[in-house]
Amino acid sequence: MGRDTLGEFEHQLLLAILQLGGESYSVPLVHELEERTGREVAQAAVFIVLSRLEKKGLLTSRLDDHAVEQTGRVRRYFKATPEALRRLKQSRRALVRLWEGLDTTLDEA
Amino acid sequence: MRPRPPLFARVVLRVLLNRNDRRTVSSDLREMYEQRLSRDGERAATSWWRRQWRQYPLHLLAERFRQTTRPSPRRPAVGANSLRESIHNMLSDLRHSVRSLARTPTLTLTIVSTLGLGIGATTAIFSVVNAVLIEPLPYADSDRLVRIYTDSPPNKWPFSVADYRALNEQQTSFSSLAGYRNRTMTFNRDDFAERVAGKLVTWNYFSLLGITPLHGSLFTEGDGAPGSEPKVIVSHGFWMRHLDGDENAIGRTLRFQGQGYTLVGVLPPDVGPFEHNGEFFAAVEWGVPPRKGPFFIMALARLAPGVDEAAAREELRAINKRLFPVWQASYQDQRASWGMQSVKEVVVGDVTATLVIVLGAVGFVLLIASTNAANLMVARATHRGRELAVRAALGASRRRLLQHLLAESTLLASVGALLGLVLTVGGIKLLTTVGADFIPRTQEVGLDGATVWFLLAITLGSGLLFGLIPSLHGAKTQFATALRSESRSATEGVGPRRLRRALVVTQFAVAAPLLIGAGLLIGTLANLQRVDPGLVTENVLTAAISLPASAYPEPGNVAAFWEEAQQRVGALPGVRGVVFADSRPPGQLNMINNFDLRDKPTPPNESQPATPWVGTTPGYFELLGIPLIEGRVFDDGDNTPPPVAIVDEAWARRFYRNESVLGRQFYSGGSTRNPVTVVGVVGDVKHVSLDAPDEGTVYWPRSLSSSRFRFIFIRTSIDPISVLPSVRQVFRELDPTLPLADVATIDELFGDSLDTSRYLTILVGAFAVVALLLSIIGIYGVMSYFVQQHTKDIGIRIALGGGRSNVIRMILGQGMRLVGVGVVVGIVGAIFLTRYMSSVLFEVGTTDALTFATVSIVMLGIALLACFVPARRAAGLDPATTLREE
Repeated sequence: MGRDTLGEFEHQLLLAILQLGGESYSVPLVHELEERTGREVAQAAVFIVLSRLEKKGLLTSRLDDHAVEQTGRVRRYFKATPEALRRLKQSRRALVRLWEGLDTTLDEA
Repeated sequence: MRPRPPLFARVVLRVLLNRNDRRTVSSDLREMYEQRLSRDGERAATSWWRRQWRQYPLHLLAERFRQTTRPSPRRPAVGANSLRESIHNMLSDLRHSVRSLARTPTLTLTIVSTLGLGIGATTAIFSVVNAVLIEPLPYADSDRLVRIYTDSPPNKWPFSVADYRALNEQQTSFSSLAGYRNRTMTFNRDDFAERVAGKLVTWNYFSLLGITPLHGSLFTEGDGAPGSEPKVIVSHGFWMRHLDGDENAIGRTLRFQGQGYTLVGVLPPDVGPFEHNGEFFAAVEWGVPPRKGPFFIMALARLAPGVDEAAAREELRAINKRLFPVWQASYQDQRASWGMQSVKEVVVGDVTATLVIVLGAVGFVLLIASTNAANLMVARATHRGRELAVRAALGASRRRLLQHLLAESTLLASVGALLGLVLTVGGIKLLTTVGADFIPRTQEVGLDGATVWFLLAITLGSGLLFGLIPSLHGAKTQFATALRSESRSATEGVGPRRLRRALVVTQFAVAAPLLIGAGLLIGTLANLQRVDPGLVTENVLTAAISLPASAYPEPGNVAAFWEEAQQRVGALPGVRGVVFADSRPPGQLNMINNFDLRDKPTPPNESQPATPWVGTTPGYFELLGIPLIEGRVFDDGDNTPPPVAIVDEAWARRFYRNESVLGRQFYSGGSTRNPVTVVGVVGDVKHVSLDAPDEGTVYWPRSLSSSRFRFIFIRTSIDPISVLPSVRQVFRELDPTLPLADVATIDELFGDSLDTSRYLTILVGAFAVVALLLSIIGIYGVMSYFVQQHTKDIGIRIALGGGRSNVIRMILGQGMRLVGVGVVVGIVGAIFLTRYMSSVLFEVGTTDALTFATVSIVMLGIALLACFVPARRAAGLDPATTLREE
C-alpha cells in the first residue's frame, strides 16, 4: 500500500464525516473536528484533504442545488465510499491489536 | 465589513480550480466567516478570514506540486518520443560541451534558468498576441467580413431597425448582411430557472459567418418573422448542460422568457468570438419601425467578390444620404453617416495597446536575460583563454574553436528553450484563465505552430546574441599572450572587460524604461482607486431581474410585481431602503441618448450631443447617497407628463457653464415635440467607468409599470451579502420561476472594474522587477570580478597608504559610472517609448517627472548597494596577505 495509507488528518476527516451522519460539507466538518479534537482546524486544510480523498476514491461529492436556491450558498456535500469504510475498519483493527495489553503500561507511565 | 479575498488567492484559485469548486470554497468560507462574526466578533472573524485566504492558495499549490511530483502511470504526450530522440542525438554531438559546462554548474544553471524564464515568458505572451491580434478570426474568409455602424465621431453607434432595413434593400456592395443584438433571457426547465446570455440574430447570421451546426440545421429565410414559429439554436455548452448532449433534442421546445422556442440546431464547441459568450441564438426579423431610432442592431456584412472597401464605404454614405430625409421628423443628426470596420477590429480593438505593451515589456526582459548570459559567457571565455590557446597551439583552426564555443551556447540555449517551453505551457494557461474576462479570443490561444516557431526563433536569436559575442571574443584572444601568462588568474583583457561593461550599460538602459512603464501603471492604478465614484458604495446589494412578457403581459401586472417586491424586500430586517433603476454603475448602462437643447439648438450640420440616460424610481438619489445640488429630486407625480429630468453637474457645466440649468428644456431622442424640463441637479456619478471623463448624465423618472427589466438596489445597515438569502426568498415567493441574476454589491462592482488595470500592472511590474534583478546581478558580477582580478593592485594601493576609503570610492565610481550611463540612456529611451502607453494611463503623463525621478533614484540606489558589497570587500583586503599569495 505504501503511500496509499491514510494520513492522520485524512483519517480524522473520514471519521468526522461518519459522525455527521455519513454526508457533510466543509463547515460542519470543521466544527465537528474542532469539538472532538479540541484543536483549531484550518478550513483551507479541510478543502484540500476533502478533494484529495475524493481523488483517492474514498469520498464522492455532489453539489447541493437545493442550498443554492434556498440560501444562495454553494455547498459541496461529501460522502464516504464503501472503500473508505473498509480502510477505516482495517486500520481500526490494526490499531486495536497494537493497543492490546498496553493500558496498564500507559497508566503506569 | 468582510474584506475581499486577496488578488493572489483569486488568481491561484482561478487557475487551479473550476468554477464550481471556486464557488463552493468561497461560499463555505463566507458561511464560516459569518458564524465566527456572530460568535467571536468582527476582529477575530476578519483575521480568521484573512488567514484562511492566505493559507488556502498555498495549500492548494503545495497539493498540486505533490501530485505532479508523484510518479504517474500516464503515457507521455504524443511527440515526446521524437523530441527525446532528437535531444539524445544532439546531446551525443555535444558531449564535450556538456562535460565542460558540467564543470561549472552554477554558471550553467544561472544561464539556463534566466534564458528559460525569458524565452518562456516571451513565448507565452506571444502566443496570446498571435492568437488575438495576428491570426484571422475563425470565420470563413474572415477578412471580407465587416461591421457597419452609424458613424458619429468619436462614437460608433449601432444601427436602428430603419437603417438595417434600408441598407438591406438598397445595398449592392455586400453579398450578405446580417444583424444581431445581445439579449439575456430566463431559461426555464421544470422548476429550474437560469439567466442565460445570448443573441437575437437574423436568419442568415450563421451562413454569413460561415458557421455550420454540429447537429440539426441553421435558420432559413422567414425564421423569426412576426407571427412565425419561434426558433432557436443553442451553444454546445448549453446543449451539454441542459439537454444532456442528446442529439434527439432537435425539434424539442425550449422555454425562454416564458415563451416556447423550437430547437433547430446545436453549434460546434469551437466558435468565434461573437458566439463565444452566447448560450442561445434566437431568430428575429425586425418589422417596419414607427421612427428612426432606437439604435441597437449590430450589423455584420460580407463584402461581395470584387468589391473593394473604398467602393463599399462610398455606397454606404450614399444610401445614408438618401435615407436621411425619410426619417427627418424623428432624427436630425445630419452629420452622422455610416461607416464600416473589419470585424477583427471590433473584436480586438481595445486590447491591442495592452498586449503590445506587455509583449514589449517581456521582450525587454528576454533581452536583459540574454545580455546577462552573454556577460557570464564572456567571463567564462576569458577564464578559458589558456585552454583555447593550447588547443589553437595544437592545430585547431580559429573556425573550429568558434564552432566549439557556439556549440556550447547552442546547447545552453536549447536547454533554456526546453525550460522555456514548459514555462510557456504554464504561462498560456495562466494568461488565458486570468485574462479571460478582458482579453478577447482567449479560447483560441494555445501552443500552436506559430508559437513553437516563435520560440525556436527567439531561442536562436538569444543564443546568437549571448553566444556569438563572447565566442568572437574568445576566438580572437591573443593565444600567444594567454600562453605566456604565468598567473593562474590571468587579468581580464581590455577587450572583454569593455564588452562586459557595455553589456551592463545595456541592461540598465533596457531595465529603466521597463521600470518607468511599471511605475506609470502603478500611478494609474493608484489614481483609479482614488477616483470618487460619486455615490456611497458601501452596503448596497444589487441584482438584475427580468419579467417574462408571457407571465406579465400588462403594465398592471408589472407594476404590481415591482411594488410588492419593493415593499417586501424593504421590510426585511437589516434593509434600509429599496429602489429600481435600468442601469447599474459602473458600465451597465441601459441607454445613451441624443438630445437637442431648446435654447441652444444643434446647428444643422452637427451631431446632437448624447449622454448616458438612467431611468430611476423615486428615492434613487437618497438611497445611493448622490447629493442634490440644486432643485428637487423625483416624486411620484413625475411619471405623468409634462416630462421632467434631473441632470448631473457635469451636464450642467458642459452645456450651461455658469448659468443655472433649472427650468431649461430639451428634446430627447431626436423628437421635436414634448420638451423635457430640467428640475434638479445632482452630483456626478461614474456610470460609465472610473476612468471615463464626466460628460454628463440625464436621469429620468420611470414608473414601476414601465419596464420588465430592472436592477434592484438594496441599501442595508448590515453586511449586504447577509440579507441575500432573505431577498432570494422574497422573490421565490413572488414568482418561483424568476432567477435573481448578476448579484453583486456596488463595492464589488467598482472593485472588479479595476481588474484589467491591476493585471496589466502586475504583469509589467513583475517583468520590471525581474529586469532590475538581472541588471543588479549583472553589475554585481562585473564589479566582483573586477575586485577579484585586481586584488593585487588594490593590495599594493592600500600598502602604499592609498586609504581604504579611496579604494571604496574608486570601485563605487567605476560601477556607478556604468549604471549612470545605462540609466540615462534608458530614460531617454523611455521618453520615446512610454508615449505608446498613453491609452492605458489615467491622469499620469507619459513623461511623469515624479515617476522618472523615483525610478532613477531607486535604480541608482540599489545599484550603489550592489557595488558597495565588492567595494567593501576590496577595502577590507589585507595587503600583506594579498601580496604574499601572489
